[in-house]
Amino acid sequence: MSGCGFVESGFVGLVVSLVLLTLVKSAPIVYAALGGVISERSGVINIGLEGLMAAGAFAAAVASYSLHAGWVGLLAGIVAGAAVGYVFALAVTKFKVDQVVAGMGINLICSGGAAYGLVLLFNQPGASKTVPQLASANVRCLNMNAGELVLVVLAFLLAIALHVVLYRTPWGLRVRATGENPLAVKSAGLNPLRFRMLAVITSGALAGLGGAFLAIGELNLYSDGMTAGRGFIALAAVIFGRWTPLGATGAAVVFGLFEALQYWIAGQVAWLPADALAALPYVAALVALAGVTGRVRAPAADGVPF
Amino acid sequence: MSTPALRLRGIRKAFPGVVAVDGVDLDLTAGEIHALVGENGAGKSTLAAIAFGELHPDAGSVESNGTVGLVHQHFELVGRLNVWQNVLLGREPRRGWRIDAAAARERVRALSKANELDIDPDALVEDLPIGAQQRVELLRELERDPSILLLDEPTAALAPAEIDGFFASVTQLARRGTAVLIVTHKLQEVIAYSARVSVMRRGRIVAAMPTAETSVDEIARAMVGGELPQIAQRAQTTPRPCLTVHALQAGSAESGVTGIDLEVRGGEIVGIAGVEGNGQTALADAIAGVLPYRGSVRFTPELSPKRERSRVETSVIPQDRHVEGLVLNFSIVENAVLGRQNRPGIRRGVLLDREKAREDAQAIVERFDVRAASLDVKVRTLSGGNQQKLLVGRALIDQPHFVLAYNPTRGIDVGAAALVQSRLIETRNAGTAVLLISFDLDEILALADRICVIYRGAIAGRFDRANVERAAIGRLMAGSQ
Ligand SMILES: Nc1ncnc2c1ncn2[C@@H]1O[C@H](COP(=O)(O)OP(=O)(O)OP(=O)(O)O)[C@@H](O)[C@H]1O
Ligand SMILES: [Mg+2]
Repeated sequence: MSGCGFVESGFVGLVVSLVLLTLVKSAPIVYAALGGVISERSGVINIGLEGLMAAGAFAAAVASYSLHAGWVGLLAGIVAGAAVGYVFALAVTKFKVDQVVAGMGINLICSGGAAYGLVLLFNQPGASKTVPQLASANVRCLNMNAGELVLVVLAFLLAIALHVVLYRTPWGLRVRATGENPLAVKSAGLNPLRFRMLAVITSGALAGLGGAFLAIGELNLYSDGMTAGRGFIALAAVIFGRWTPLGATGAAVVFGLFEALQYWIAGQVAWLPADALAALPYVAALVALAGVTGRVRAPAADGVPF
Repeated sequence: MSTPALRLRGIRKAFPGVVAVDGVDLDLTAGEIHALVGENGAGKSTLAAIAFGELHPDAGSVESNGTVGLVHQHFELVGRLNVWQNVLLGREPRRGWRIDAAAARERVRALSKANELDIDPDALVEDLPIGAQQRVELLRELERDPSILLLDEPTAALAPAEIDGFFASVTQLARRGTAVLIVTHKLQEVIAYSARVSVMRRGRIVAAMPTAETSVDEIARAMVGGELPQIAQRAQTTPRPCLTVHALQAGSAESGVTGIDLEVRGGEIVGIAGVEGNGQTALADAIAGVLPYRGSVRFTPELSPKRERSRVETSVIPQDRHVEGLVLNFSIVENAVLGRQNRPGIRRGVLLDREKAREDAQAIVERFDVRAASLDVKVRTLSGGNQQKLLVGRALIDQPHFVLAYNPTRGIDVGAAALVQSRLIETRNAGTAVLLISFDLDEILALADRICVIYRGAIAGRFDRANVERAAIGRLMAGSQ
């Protein structure tokens, strides 16, 4: 590419490319972490983020493939996440299934279901055929495609929006109250289960969007294990970010940075084994969580059925 | 006026092992304050919950003419939201799609002013002392302005001065036509403010009369079904050093303590008299070791010739039984041994001796008259007063060297309060040092050997039992000389 010299050369160019890569790598984690925040603020621990992301990624790939339109894939990812979120929400509210058990169930069903779906729909295990991306045209100077750019910007806008919703609107206040003390919400004449349902469905939609980013934003297919633990990293970001949308977003960016670093280091230091480098974001999450204990408190009724 | 605002007929409600409410008829009249009294576990809270519609009766009917509001005995607040968010939850003032925080603040401020319930709308609820939390809970119901207001022990955690203000606003409400039911253990309140009184015992209404025609004594006799127990005699003791507090500083500038010297000796009860919010919480938490402090808190190890152990045994009756005292989903047995699980009788090797633990819990239940269907029920299902008795029993049963008692008779009926006070005196007689922090001056006067008045985090005056002057204490509590 020409005409954007500073991006290409020298130390500045290196930093700029690292920042851009960080943004791309953090976006899916940001989406899932925002989903985690809203779910946990309503009192539902969402261990199922990983599965919800997988559902979103798979649905996005399938829809984009069959209708040859990336934006349909994006919608499908959101809807699939919301739909699985709805099932999860029903399980933990109406049927009072243990939240952690239900969440693990969601993870198993979604990753297993997607693996089976690949065989069923694409006649091949492991990965789908290549599918149309959301927008594959490269953005000049930014080293990412247009779809990635839109979704990166959207992720940060959503973080701000969720902050405003949680802290400035009646609905947000009620969701937070539900996560702290559902009885108090009930005696205010409201139905805490409704807030939990809505929060968990929203959580699913956000995680699904994060999954769609992977399948049709960054790449152009769905492959088994493509979420690669990002749902769990997002869960760590929720805690590291003290259950706030902006905090969790910041934490997600830190984890994204480590993921980006792994590619960058691999480029510099050839003798380091790739597997060790790939572990970098997970080690970072572990260290962050170890440092965070004792300083923060989860919502008081997080994980407590009502 | 003649048709009742709320009409209960033949209400019955049974829980496993106990009939909580057993065929109750009750009418509330618009514009009238109706007092409901009775022993702990008599069924008052259950009846209130049924009238509110939160519990369904097994039999009987509830007819109400208007909206019903209930102030719960145990608060239902969101600790990590602030005061106005709690008060206006579900009825938030809006500007467009957003909450209008300024308007909300103003609304709560106006409401608290009109009802003389002093509160900062922006304070975080979990940081408030329990009396202030009670005010928040009250404001929340007052804000909704129901036509029938049920109050379950609303004054249990209020200071005497606040109680007057509180009844002034309840009387106001009644004058405007609200039907009020108030559950209380403070019989003077019944006499002073109610128009009618109903007495419950073991799930039934055993007496109902216009307040003008009865007296504190008559109500108390109807409650317990006989005479009140006498309070135990204080024995002569030879006080020995136990706890020495020197230049204690702890807590925040507004509600902490700023340099307190205090001595509590074995065989005496030292009472801390004061209006809530003058540093009592910080004092108690610092001594209990859960709040960092400056200065010194020292226990004298060689306490009594009979106890050769080097460890000082201490126990605490905390101010909030739900937050700091009991595990509500544990059984009575489990709660009774909690914190005492290493005692020789209860532990066997690395295991708990379940039989011994049961016997031990049984001893507490008998000695402190805890009324429950069985030892295995969850503590959550006990009535509030019986939870409190269990907590007191656990703190006193082992005759520790030192006991910190924070409002030990909160929410306990008159008969049981006499029992708890007797047990405190017996504990003192046996040589235990007792630090009694209470907002009830009468309780302090009845129990304490020495009295310290706390005001704005400092000791404003000290009295011996021999030379107490009630009026002087009252003045010091209010901050004048
Ligand atoms: N959810 C429950 N499950 C089982 N038993 C219960 C439950 N709620 C109350 N009880 C029992 O019903 C009886 C009445 O309890 P209630 O709370 O109405 O008493 P109360 O008159 O309000 O007493 P207090 O003055 O101590 O508050 C008690 O024996 C109590 O143990
Ligand atoms: Mg009660």
